[in-house]
Amino acid sequence: MDEPPRHSAVADSSTSEPILVPARIVNEFVYCPRLAYLEWVQQEWADSSDTVEGRHAHRRIEQARGDLPPPLAVSDEEKIHARSVTLSSQRLGLIATIDLIEGEGGMVTPVDYKRGKRPHVAQGAYDPERVQLCAQALLLEEHGYTCTEGVIYYAGSRERVRVQFDDALRELTRNAVAGLRALAESGQIPPPLEDSPKCPRCSLVGICLPDEVNLLRGSNAEVRPLAVAHDHALPLYIQSHNAKVRKNGELLEIYEEDETVHTVRLGDLSQVVLMGNVSLTAPTLHELMARGIPVSWHSYGGWFLGHTIGTGHKNVELRTAQYRASFDPATCLRLAKGFVSAKIRNQRTLLRRNWKRADDPEGVLNLFESDLRRALAAESLESLLGAEGQAAARYFANFSAMLRQEDRAGWHFDFQKRNRRPPTDPVNALLSFAYTLLVRTWTVTLSSVGFDPYRGFYHQPRYGRPALALDMMEPFRPLLADSSVIQAINNGEVRGSDFIRRAGAVSLTNEGRKSFIAAFERRLGQEVTHPVFGYRVSYRRLLELQARLFARYLLGEIPEYPNFTTR
Amino acid sequence: MNEEHLYIVCYDIRDPRRWRRVFRKLCGYGEWLQLSVFQCRLNRVRRAELSAALDSLIHHDADHVIILDLGPADKVSPKISSLGKPVEPIQRKPIVI
Repeated sequence: MDEPPRHSAVADSSTSEPILVPARIVNEFVYCPRLAYLEWVQQEWADSSDTVEGRHAHRRIEQARGDLPPPLAVSDEEKIHARSVTLSSQRLGLIATIDLIEGEGGMVTPVDYKRGKRPHVAQGAYDPERVQLCAQALLLEEHGYTCTEGVIYYAGSRERVRVQFDDALRELTRNAVAGLRALAESGQIPPPLEDSPKCPRCSLVGICLPDEVNLLRGSNAEVRPLAVAHDHALPLYIQSHNAKVRKNGELLEIYEEDETVHTVRLGDLSQVVLMGNVSLTAPTLHELMARGIPVSWHSYGGWFLGHTIGTGHKNVELRTAQYRASFDPATCLRLAKGFVSAKIRNQRTLLRRNWKRADDPEGVLNLFESDLRRALAAESLESLLGAEGQAAARYFANFSAMLRQEDRAGWHFDFQKRNRRPPTDPVNALLSFAYTLLVRTWTVTLSSVGFDPYRGFYHQPRYGRPALALDMMEPFRPLLADSSVIQAINNGEVRGSDFIRRAGAVSLTNEGRKSFIAAFERRLGQEVTHPVFGYRVSYRRLLELQARLFARYLLGEIPEYPNFTTR
Repeated sequence: MNEEHLYIVCYDIRDPRRWRRVFRKLCGYGEWLQLSVFQCRLNRVRRAELSAALDSLIHHDADHVIILDLGPADKVSPKISSLGKPVEPIQRKPIVI
């Protein structure tokens, strides 16, 4: 036996043996090297209708049945029929679970089940599938069986396609295994395919962002709206006092005093937001964690206490890149300037769009240009903070110009300046609550993409503060939080009766909070044209898109993080 | 591309235990409209999940499930005549309690 090859980057440190490459991933590698890297090295996964159907087609095969006798023990007439057999080899560095092994005597045929219909190509099947089958054959041969051909069974058209393991295919397979190993060791994700017809049906397209990444790397190809699928899942907010949540089959039941007040389908949930004294049963929490639905916990007043997720995201590479970049002051400053300048631009845009006072806003708007210049010229985080503060003061001094003066009941929303902890007037109370909702939205988005929301670039880490979420939300404060406040006030969705005043502090009532959450979520559902990619996308989906682009920037794939600004 | 469609799911299940299981499974995908009829709003992934789930629950020689696609949920307004109670197609919005 040859000495097993040593691979530093793909070695298990406890045994120093090479980690085995799954034959399934070799298939992905031949299909698209980037896909193999995302799935295997970065442990990314997303379901599409194809993957769900594929799992269903595999359900019976995956139950191990039948026996695979050792090659020397097989008598010549004995028939072999073994399902779901896992074989591995240190020498080949391969592992595979073979759907079905058929054979007679020492001669065996691996059979691989595929969901779709047989493709009409010269070799009977596409290369990725042929290579995967050949990898299984190499393993069988390594274990002493004779293997000259295999079969791919296409469940869609119920056809068997024979694949001959000729020298060319064996060569292709060995090269693919070696290529995948070298790729994993390099730690460099391959570039996306260019304008490939494979991308639209790929389940990882929303993570890979092929066209977006190519555009930002300087390609001229048009960006296809592949990543803008609608989110079917939406959040559940529970703020009702003494509510309890339990699981009943596929449903969540929210009950108060032993009476079910609402049921929610688990499959339609993206996140659960609990405010105040709401309790969950352990089975409910287990189910939510298993489904990857985060639960965020807030105090009764809306203060964000933290969130519960399952075992967390497996993409360690991304977190490593995030930490590494956060230790570099130059990178921090560059990113911080981007966040702040985008925020100032968006503040200016919001003022321009919603200006309601009789006087001309041009004079005020022009002053933002100087703040912007000052921010872009900043040489330290301190001077950047100064520029941001100046713009913020200017913005909030004119904030009331965007509010309707008086509603029918004669209530007037008065706003002089921004204050918090505690807010002293209704508008400030709404703004504070809106920022809480936005921080939570960003924290959840960032965790679901694989970031650590607590390590930031502009907001330096401080105990318990989701610094990265605060960084990323800067440009979105005016677009999502402030504009929800303006909409809620101007549409009369929140009124004077929705606030309580206690010892100088103003807070929202239960009803007020409920109507404002509705306004905020409606804003997240609104669509906006992406200034760089040109397609329309909902804000909810946009946040994830921006987070993924930020990841692509930190991993060195695109030269600049494109901050989001509207016109 | 991955937009949601509105579906009507009807089923005939011969065995009360399986009927119960199918009913409970469907509760996770849509709203109970009438005896053995649900309306569901699903994207392609959820649609595939539903088929897979029902397919493994029912007995193919005894039971029968029909899944009717009424078209894109946000664009189509299905022509439904309802005597008695009104039928509201499922809307999608965040739930605030």
